[in-house]
Amino acid sequence: MAAAPALALAGVGVDRADVPVVRDVTLDVAPGAVTVVLGANGAGKTTLMDGIAGLARPTTGSIRLDGAPIERLPPFKRARAGLGYVEQARTAFRTLTVEQNLLVARSGSGDLGTVYRLFPELERRRHLHAGHLSGGEQQMAVLGRALVSDPKVVLIDEMSLGLAPKVVHRLMGTVAELAAMGIAVLLIEQFANLALEIGSRAYVLRKGRVVHSGPCAELRGAEDRLHELYFGGRLADAAARLAREAPGREASRGASAEPPEAGSRTP
Amino acid sequence: MVNSVIAGLTSGGGYALLGLCVVLTYRLVAVVNFAMTAVGAFGAFVMVSLTDAGLDVWSSLVLGAASAALLSAALGAALVRWFAGHRERTKAAVTVALYVALTAVGLRLFGGTTTGAHRFPDPFGAPVFTVGGVVVPRSVLVSLAFAALITLGVGLLLTRTGLGLRLQALSERPATAEVVGIPAPRLAVGVWAGVGAVTMLVIVLVAPRLGGDFSTLSGLISTALAVAMVGAFRSLPLTLAGGLVLGCLEGASSAVESIQKYQGVVPFLVILVLLWWRSRGEVWDTAHSR
Repeated sequence: MAAAPALALAGVGVDRADVPVVRDVTLDVAPGAVTVVLGANGAGKTTLMDGIAGLARPTTGSIRLDGAPIERLPPFKRARAGLGYVEQARTAFRTLTVEQNLLVARSGSGDLGTVYRLFPELERRRHLHAGHLSGGEQQMAVLGRALVSDPKVVLIDEMSLGLAPKVVHRLMGTVAELAAMGIAVLLIEQFANLALEIGSRAYVLRKGRVVHSGPCAELRGAEDRLHELYFGGRLADAAARLAREAPGREASRGASAEPPEAGSRTP
Repeated sequence: MVNSVIAGLTSGGGYALLGLCVVLTYRLVAVVNFAMTAVGAFGAFVMVSLTDAGLDVWSSLVLGAASAALLSAALGAALVRWFAGHRERTKAAVTVALYVALTAVGLRLFGGTTTGAHRFPDPFGAPVFTVGGVVVPRSVLVSLAFAALITLGVGLLLTRTGLGLRLQALSERPATAEVVGIPAPRLAVGVWAGVGAVTMLVIVLVAPRLGGDFSTLSGLISTALAVAMVGAFRSLPLTLAGGLVLGCLEGASSAVESIQKYQGVVPFLVILVLLWWRSRGEVWDTAHSR
């Protein structure tokens, strides 16, 4: 029997400035696994994450964390209930040291040692202000900050943005390690194939709605299928043709498969 | 002249504290609070009304500080609830509107310059010692000690305590602070309440010297903003120094008969000089081309 989902969304809708961006999304995030959300730019992925974390208010549906409804809780109570959120862009507290970044988020049982084991460079720089770290190290600090709150579920939104491929691979490895530790991970990632490699289940959003859900294995390496899911029929054909005619150019950032030096791009 | 400058330090300590309150509100909750001294004056007049009604000074002081804290917390809660996602200038405009409203209500309740001057208790008015003919009133020492204590205390709170770390996180990234489990709205309202209470205490301290009418005391916001500008709305020690210098300047100007009546212009001159000084290196097309 499959384990009960750590995070379950049913019919969730989220608005931005009174405009519906996410509509009727139903998805489950299993404990100890990476669940991937894919979609083109503007599909509503970040709005969905903000809705789950409480930064945007869901207008419809229910969000359950370990079976308990959280959709009406303020963000800090969702965090205390066991929801970690690695926001898009680097959101380390730049004026605090690395250690202080971790301490402000630590819950009773949260352990700085686990973070330092995963990211030894953070321990070496623990007294340095986060603003002085490299982009990759800042992202490690943010991931570590989500970890010390002892979360049941971690939401990760485009953590590879602006990072070197080597660092992206390293962080993806850590995400897989988090899942191995029993944490449920909901991952949004611009490099679809990297996410699909470590993910177990994938959802694809188009115009705020789920247009596909299934095992990640179904979508691994299936760029044409991804284009079709991202853009729909005719647009997908155009995007695929564009990518074939100009292989060095991305048809869309949202449909890119891997970081530049790490492998071939989406056709 | 030296006596006047020394006496000006009493107000200077108060100005420094008011400036510190402006800086703290700005640093921690990102709002330039124009209503701050009106809220403090409101609490001070609640206190003096209670003493006039026969309540003892200390109980009145506590109740007055509590009323200022409550009023300030209500303003903070309103800003957190309805204006959290708005720009700084919108939030500042809300506090300007509240300043106007509170001043109108305060004048109505407690009277204006000619009708509403109250006698504030002045427990620290007596001279404490005389050095070479210069009389140092106790209020100077109390005011300076209070200002130094608050500067040091706030500095230690922000850098050495868990609450301070959370406050710093809140001031830097309010939304991120919330998603890492920091109760941002509650902390912000706490900051507003604390600032309201401290402002009221400072106003009670400076009221015997400045005159006990509502409009004068609520108008201290212009001085507080000038002092905060000295510290660039960021540095606590510079703000402290700015307040003391401003107090001394005011004291000195009160000693010279020909410029005495222009004493109220001193904060404006300080703001003007600082604006000029800070913008002296700017190039027109980069600084003003928006």
